[in-house]
Amino acid sequence: MEVAAGKLMVRERRSIRHVDPILVAAAIGLAMIGLFAIYSATHQSLAAVGLDPGRFVKRQVTFLAVGAVVLMLALSFDYRLLKVYAGMIYVSSLVLLVLVRTPLGTSVKGAQRWFELFGFQLAPSEIAKLALIAMLATFLSELRGDLTLQDVFRTAGLAALPAFLVFLQPDLGSSIVFVAILVGMLVVAGARVRYLGVLALTAVALIVGGFQVGLVREYQIERLQAFLDPASVSQDALHNRDQAEIAIGSGGLTGVGYLQGSQTNLDFVPEQHTDFVFTVVGEEFGFAGAATLLALYGVLLWRAFRVALFSRDPFGTYLAAGIASMLALQMFVNVGMNIGIMPITGIPLPFVSYGGSSLLLNLAAVGLLINVHMRRFA
Amino acid sequence: MGLRVKVLATLVLVMFATLTTRLWFLQVLAAEQFKREAKDNAVRLIEVPAPRGVINDVNGEPLVDNRASVVITINRQALGDQTERVLFDLSQLLDVPADELGSRLDDPRYYVFSPIPVAIDVPKRVAYYIKEHWIDFPGVDVLQVPVRRYPSGSVGAHVLGYLGQVSKDKLKDPGFADYEPGDLVGVSGVESYYERDLAGTQGLVKYRVNSAGRNLGRIGEEQPPVAGNDVTLTIDARTQELTEGSLKAGIEHARTLVESESGYLKANAGAAVVLDPQTGAIEAMASFPSFDPSVFTRSISENEFKRRFGWARGRPLLNRAIQGQYPPGSTYKPFVAASALQREIVTTGHYYPCPGTWTAPFDESDPDAMQYVFNNWTAADLGSMTIATALAKSCDTIFYPMGYRYWDLFYVNDDELANDVVSHEPMQRDLGAFGFGSQTRVDLSFEQDGRVPDAEWKKTIHDLYPESFPEGEWFPGDFILMTIGQGDTLVTPLQLATAFGALENDGKICVPHVLDRVVAPDETVVREYQQNCRRVRIDERHLRYVRDALTGTVTGGGTAGAAFAGFPFDAVWVAGKTGTAEVDPKQDYSWFAAMTAGGGQEHVVVVLVEQGGHGATTAAPIARHIIEGIYGLEFSQFTDIEGTD
Repeated sequence: MEVAAGKLMVRERRSIRHVDPILVAAAIGLAMIGLFAIYSATHQSLAAVGLDPGRFVKRQVTFLAVGAVVLMLALSFDYRLLKVYAGMIYVSSLVLLVLVRTPLGTSVKGAQRWFELFGFQLAPSEIAKLALIAMLATFLSELRGDLTLQDVFRTAGLAALPAFLVFLQPDLGSSIVFVAILVGMLVVAGARVRYLGVLALTAVALIVGGFQVGLVREYQIERLQAFLDPASVSQDALHNRDQAEIAIGSGGLTGVGYLQGSQTNLDFVPEQHTDFVFTVVGEEFGFAGAATLLALYGVLLWRAFRVALFSRDPFGTYLAAGIASMLALQMFVNVGMNIGIMPITGIPLPFVSYGGSSLLLNLAAVGLLINVHMRRFA
Repeated sequence: MGLRVKVLATLVLVMFATLTTRLWFLQVLAAEQFKREAKDNAVRLIEVPAPRGVINDVNGEPLVDNRASVVITINRQALGDQTERVLFDLSQLLDVPADELGSRLDDPRYYVFSPIPVAIDVPKRVAYYIKEHWIDFPGVDVLQVPVRRYPSGSVGAHVLGYLGQVSKDKLKDPGFADYEPGDLVGVSGVESYYERDLAGTQGLVKYRVNSAGRNLGRIGEEQPPVAGNDVTLTIDARTQELTEGSLKAGIEHARTLVESESGYLKANAGAAVVLDPQTGAIEAMASFPSFDPSVFTRSISENEFKRRFGWARGRPLLNRAIQGQYPPGSTYKPFVAASALQREIVTTGHYYPCPGTWTAPFDESDPDAMQYVFNNWTAADLGSMTIATALAKSCDTIFYPMGYRYWDLFYVNDDELANDVVSHEPMQRDLGAFGFGSQTRVDLSFEQDGRVPDAEWKKTIHDLYPESFPEGEWFPGDFILMTIGQGDTLVTPLQLATAFGALENDGKICVPHVLDRVVAPDETVVREYQQNCRRVRIDERHLRYVRDALTGTVTGGGTAGAAFAGFPFDAVWVAGKTGTAEVDPKQDYSWFAAMTAGGGQEHVVVVLVEQGGHGATTAAPIARHIIEGIYGLEFSQFTDIEGTD
C-alpha cells in the first residue's frame, strides 16, 4: 500500500511538469485584457458618482485570485474521479437551478438567476455548465459501439433538463450554451448528421411549443427580433446594438487609444463592462486589439482541442471537447452580438467580462483541461 | 475519435473566420462612418437664443421687451425607462399633472433627440432643486431663456402680434431654413412681419456630452448670439390706448341701446384705425375683442387655445382692422360721388331729388315688366339737394340713379364683348384707385383684399360656388347697390382709412404702415420706413368738393350732427361720413370715418362696430371720443343718439 501510495505521489509530481503553459498564458492574457477593459469602461462613471474608479477592477482582481485557487483545485485531483461523482454533481446542479427560482434567489432586471452569497452573486447556471459537461462525458464514455438515435436522445435529455431550467429564469443565453455543449460533445461522440438533424427538428418543435404556451419572455423575443429585423423592434434593443457597432467601428484599424474612446468614456454603450466589454477593446485598440483578443481565444481553443486529442481516455476527450465547445460558443455569441451578427442574449465574454461566477467557472474549466492534459501519460 | 475532434475544431475555425470578417468590415472598411457617428454622438450643439429686438412706440416707449425666464426642458431619449418616475417627480415639483407633462412630451413637432420645453417661468427653488438632484432627473435641463414682456399690457396686442413655435409649413419654407422645430417665431403682427429684423442670430456652443446628455464641458470657441434689431413703430402708445379704450367704452355703451325690433345691440366686435394721411403712418390700430399677448410666452394646449381664442370668445386674435372685411355702407359714397363727378354722371351745380324710394327704369310699355324699388334709409321725402348735401344727409335715392347710369353708359354686355368691345368699368377702376379691392400692403401679416365686384368676378365666383352665389350675371342692381356700399362690396377698416386719407390729402394716397425705423442694438439706424405714396387719378376739385361736403355730416342736419353736437369745430376741423351696413341676418354694422385737422396735425379716424346699429349711433361717438383725445379736447359723454344712416 505504501509503495502504491508512493508511486501515486511520484506520478503526480511528474504530471505537474506536463502542465500546458501556453493554455495558461492564453487564459491569463485574456483576463489581463479584461481588467484593462473593465477599468476603461467603468472608471468615468464611477468617478462621476464619487466612487472609487477602480472599484470594479479591484473586485475582478479578487475574483481572479479566488479563480486561481479554484483552478488549482480543479487540477489537483485525478479528473477520472469526476466520473464517479458526475451524477451527484449533475443532480445537485439541477437542484440549485430549481432553488434559485425560489425566494432564496435574487432577481435582477426581471430575471431570477443568482444566489446572494457574502455580497457576491453566484449563478448556479455557471456551475450547471461544468456539471453537464462532466455528466455527458461520463455518459458518452460509458457507451459501447456506434451511437444510436436513442443514445442521442438520452444525451439530449440530460442537457435539456438544465437548459430548460435556465431558460425559465429566463436566461436564453445560458440555454444556448447548454445546447452548444451537447452538440459539440455529440459531434465528438460520432453522432450521425442525420441524428443531429432529427434532434434539431425536435428542438424546434419544442421551442415553437414554448412560444405557444408563453414560456418565452417578451424581451427575449424582442432581442431575437432586434437581431433578425432591427427596424421592427424597440428603441432600446436597437440602441444597444447600434452603440456597440459605433464603438467598435470607430476604433478603426488601430483604435483611438486606451481610455480615449468617446463611446466608452461617455457611457454610450450599455452594460459595457459585462456583456459589451468587447466594445472597449474594439474602440480603444481597434482591429489590431480585437484581432489579438480573438487570437488569444484561438490559442486557448487550439490548446483545448489538443487536450481532447491527446487525452488518454474517451472521458478526458469528451471533457475537453465539452469545455472547448462551451468556451467557443460563449466567445462567438458574445463577440457576435457586440459586432451585430448575433442576437443580444446576455452571454458574458469568457475571462474578459466583469463578473465572478462566469470567471470562476471558466478558470475551473481551464483547471480541468490542464488536469486532463497533465495526466495523459498516467 | 481524433477525426471528430478535428471536425469540431473546424467548426470553431469557421466561427473565427466569421468574426474576423465582420470585424474587418466594421473597423477597416466602414470605420470612417462609425468614427463620424461616434463624434456626433458625443458632441451636442447648443443653440443660445438671441435676445429678440425690442418694439418701441413712436416716442421710444417700449411696447414689447424681454425678460429672463427659467425653463425646464426634457430630452425624451435620455429619459429611457425612467420616464414615468421623472414625470411624476417633476409634476410634484411643478404642481402640474403628470399626464399634462407627458402630453407636452408627445409633441410631434420635435425630433426625438431635441429637448422639449415642458415648463416656463419655473420658480428658482424648483430650478435649484433639479440642478442639485440632476442624477434623479436624466434628460431634464434647466435653462434661462429670454421671453417676451409687455410693459403696457395688452395695448397694441393686434399690431404687435405674438410668438409661437415655428409651424411645420414654415419649416419647409426655404426662407426659414435656419429654423428648427421648437424655435419661436413671430406668428402675427409686427412680430411676424419684422421677424427677420427682430430675431437676431442665435449663438452656438459645442459641448461634449455623455449618453445621458450631461454636459462635460465646452469644445472650442463659443459663437455668441447676435441680438435682434429694435423696431420703432409709428404707433403712439397713448393714441393706441385711447383708441382701444374708446372702442371698448363705445361698444359697451352700445350694448345698452335698443335699436328697432332686434332688441339690444349686440355690438360683439369692432375695429378702429387712426392714421396720418400725409404719410400713411398708422398711429393706432385697435381690434375688439382683444387678447393678452403674454399668454403666448408659455406653451398652451390646443384646447386652451380654442377656449381662449375660439369663436365663442369672438376670435380675439383676429385683427379686424386688416382681416375683417365688411360692406362699407354709406362710407363708400364719397368715393362713388368723386367717381361720378369725374365721369360727369353728376355735377356740382345740380339739385337732385331725394324721395323715400327710387324705382329702377323699366320698359314701361311692357305691363309684366319687373319693377325694382330701392328704399332710402328714411321713408321721408327730403326734397331736392346738391351732391354735397346728399353726402351730408347720406341720401341713397340720389346715389341709386348714379349706379344705373354707370350701367347705361359704360357696361359692355356679352354681345358687345363678343365683338371685341373692351369692357372698362370706370366705377370699379376709380374705387380701385382709392385702394379698394386690393391689399393696402400695410406692413402687417394676413391682410385681406376686400372686394370691388365686377362682372367678371361675379361670373367666376358663381362658377366656383354656385350655392353661395346663385347669380352669375351682372345686373344694373349690382351698380346700384355698389353706390351705397352694399351688394358684394367689402372693405377692411384700414382700406377705408387709407381712402379717406387720400380724400383729405387732395388725392395723395399713401401705403399705410406701422414701421418707423429699425435700430440696431448699438442704436445705429438700420433703415427707415420709405414712404410710398401715389396720386389718385381724380380731379382735385372733385375731391375737394367731396371733402368739404363731408363737413356737413357732423354739423346741423348732417347724419352725425347729433353725435358731434357741441364739438369745438373752431379748434379742430372735422369732416366725416356715417355708414350703416346691412349684413343679413345680423344687426346693422356701424361705421364712421372722419378726417380731422388742427394745430398742424391731420388724422384720419375710422371706426367700425359689428352689429353696432346705425353709424351715428355707435361708431360716430367712438370716433368723436378718439378725436377729442388726440387733440386734447374735453371728453364728451357717450349718450344715446337716435339712429340716422
